[in-house]
Amino acid sequence: MTATVFDGVVLGLQFGLLAAGLTLVYGLGGVLMLSYGQISVVSAIVVLFAMDAGLPTLGAVGLGLLAGALMGLIHDLTILRPVYRLQGESRVLLSLLLTLGVAFMIDGLLNWRYPLQGLRMRVGSGPIEIIGVRMPAGSVVASVITIVTLTGLLLFLRTTTLGRAVRSVIQDEEGARMVGIDPSRMLRLILILSGFLAALVAVTRSMVIPVDVQAGFSITVLALIVTVVGGLGSVVGALLAGIILGIAYSIAAAQIGTFMSLVILLLAAAVTILIRPSGLLGVKE
Amino acid sequence: MSARLGDATGTSRVGGTEGLVSRSLGRLMAPIVAIVAVGCLAPIWLGDSRVYMGVAVTGVTFACYGIGFNLIFGSTGQLFLCVGALAGIGGYAGAILADTAGLPIIVSIILGTIAAGIAGGLLSWVAVRRSLGVIFTGIITLIFTLVYDSLLLGLGNLTGGENGFLIQSGSGSFMRRQIPPYYVLLGLVLIFLIVHALLRRSHIGWAFRALRDDEVAAELAGVNVSRYRVYAAVIGAAMLGLAGATYAFAAGRISPSTYGFAQVDVVVLVMLAFGGIGTLFGPVLGSVVFTIIDELFIELGQLREFIYGALILALFLWIPRGVIPTLGEWLKRRRQRPG
Repeated sequence: MTATVFDGVVLGLQFGLLAAGLTLVYGLGGVLMLSYGQISVVSAIVVLFAMDAGLPTLGAVGLGLLAGALMGLIHDLTILRPVYRLQGESRVLLSLLLTLGVAFMIDGLLNWRYPLQGLRMRVGSGPIEIIGVRMPAGSVVASVITIVTLTGLLLFLRTTTLGRAVRSVIQDEEGARMVGIDPSRMLRLILILSGFLAALVAVTRSMVIPVDVQAGFSITVLALIVTVVGGLGSVVGALLAGIILGIAYSIAAAQIGTFMSLVILLLAAAVTILIRPSGLLGVKE
Repeated sequence: MSARLGDATGTSRVGGTEGLVSRSLGRLMAPIVAIVAVGCLAPIWLGDSRVYMGVAVTGVTFACYGIGFNLIFGSTGQLFLCVGALAGIGGYAGAILADTAGLPIIVSIILGTIAAGIAGGLLSWVAVRRSLGVIFTGIITLIFTLVYDSLLLGLGNLTGGENGFLIQSGSGSFMRRQIPPYYVLLGLVLIFLIVHALLRRSHIGWAFRALRDDEVAAELAGVNVSRYRVYAAVIGAAMLGLAGATYAFAAGRISPSTYGFAQVDVVVLVMLAFGGIGTLFGPVLGSVVFTIIDELFIELGQLREFIYGALILALFLWIPRGVIPTLGEWLKRRRQRPG
């Protein structure tokens, strides 16, 4: 049982990291980025090629993270321009449709050029034992990276002036503008950050399962569900939702088998959304 | 007016002829009959080729999906991301009832249609009761699609799982020949168009327009917004189920990708956006154009996906309202120009 819960927490941390970038972009910009998973996949391919080219692992990962951040910036500078001119629901809808277009373009190119590539990072040699439970080294390292990153992200948002400026835009864009914060600059920062996080997802995920070229949409959909359950714009909510869904999934998988556990995960998400449309820790609009 | 997305989602007023409801029944039906009559001619020059007739059958099936989705999303603004799932419920229910339970084909299709209608109605009812917005309706219906997908694979001994379902019933009937299924599905297009046109003309159509234009004002004027949303979803979903089930018996084999999200939902959304969301003939125009485009680019393989993506971008950036409303506006301006 402890092992199952442990598995769930490991999975949940992954879910949380998956949703963190998406939830910030949505909360801050009202932008639903459906190309999120594709940013992950492209970053994974960059890491893969950099490693094949003989770069040390850390350098390759650095390059991948840079690629992710760059793609976030490109989104902000190009296709999100017309989106920013809209408000409310039509803004979300246009962002959803345009990024869906981008997702298809990236998927098409990748599937055409590199259909069989996939990133799988091998970490350590044997399993590591933590309070009596043997865990694969990859899962442990991925979890540590996730915890460090999310803690860093929260500290940035809570304690630094820049982070507070970002949060003020999430809470009240007009008010933020009045005290001299430029929301569009904050938005650019968040898009770069979420591109970076998407790339990091590719790296940590590849320590547990291979990230192949076709993984884009499933990453996006999973991130979307965790985001909504956690509450839009809330990183802590995303983490909480991720861990709850992760544990639910693991327990269901251990008790009744994998296919029903996915159904249970999805139903749990649906029920949460229906009971609390604003999410676990979301702000009511 | 700049390219507001509100137009694309059908929340704005579609000016001019669209707003006129008091046209006579004959004038309402004439364009529908004309379009379907043109469609009847397609087998004359495609009929010899098994491949092209197959493409044509898929094309009319997508026209049916487009009309069903248009009724739900275009008329009442409910973003149902489960078009394929609803069609698949019709298709799989029809196939299983006919083959495994041994019911007559026509009964199986009707039951499949009813099942899809109920599923769509329930989804809409839940969304309306919890007053979910466009995006949350989209997410709930997306989750529905994922659940449907995992059940399809998980209940493999019933559905055939990844390998698909080979339908034995009706294997000797006219539905498996080259041309008849095309006419059956074209008949569905005709019926769906007439139903949609009549709905637009009736008091239900008034209610649709009112709640699309301004939900709060409609509610205040006494329109029962939630009830009409559920109506639209039930009718639209039943259309999807009927088309999905009919296609299943024409194809003879269905698999998860027959009704997959990428294969159906995304395509239908693009077709509808191209033709014009909320317009009567938008889905028909969209399905014709995209069936042809798809066939032209078939040799590009995976690059087709890239082209689809680029088309989605171009569409929503430059003609977010779709071809039919944009053309209509252009024609109207030309006519109004003096001289």
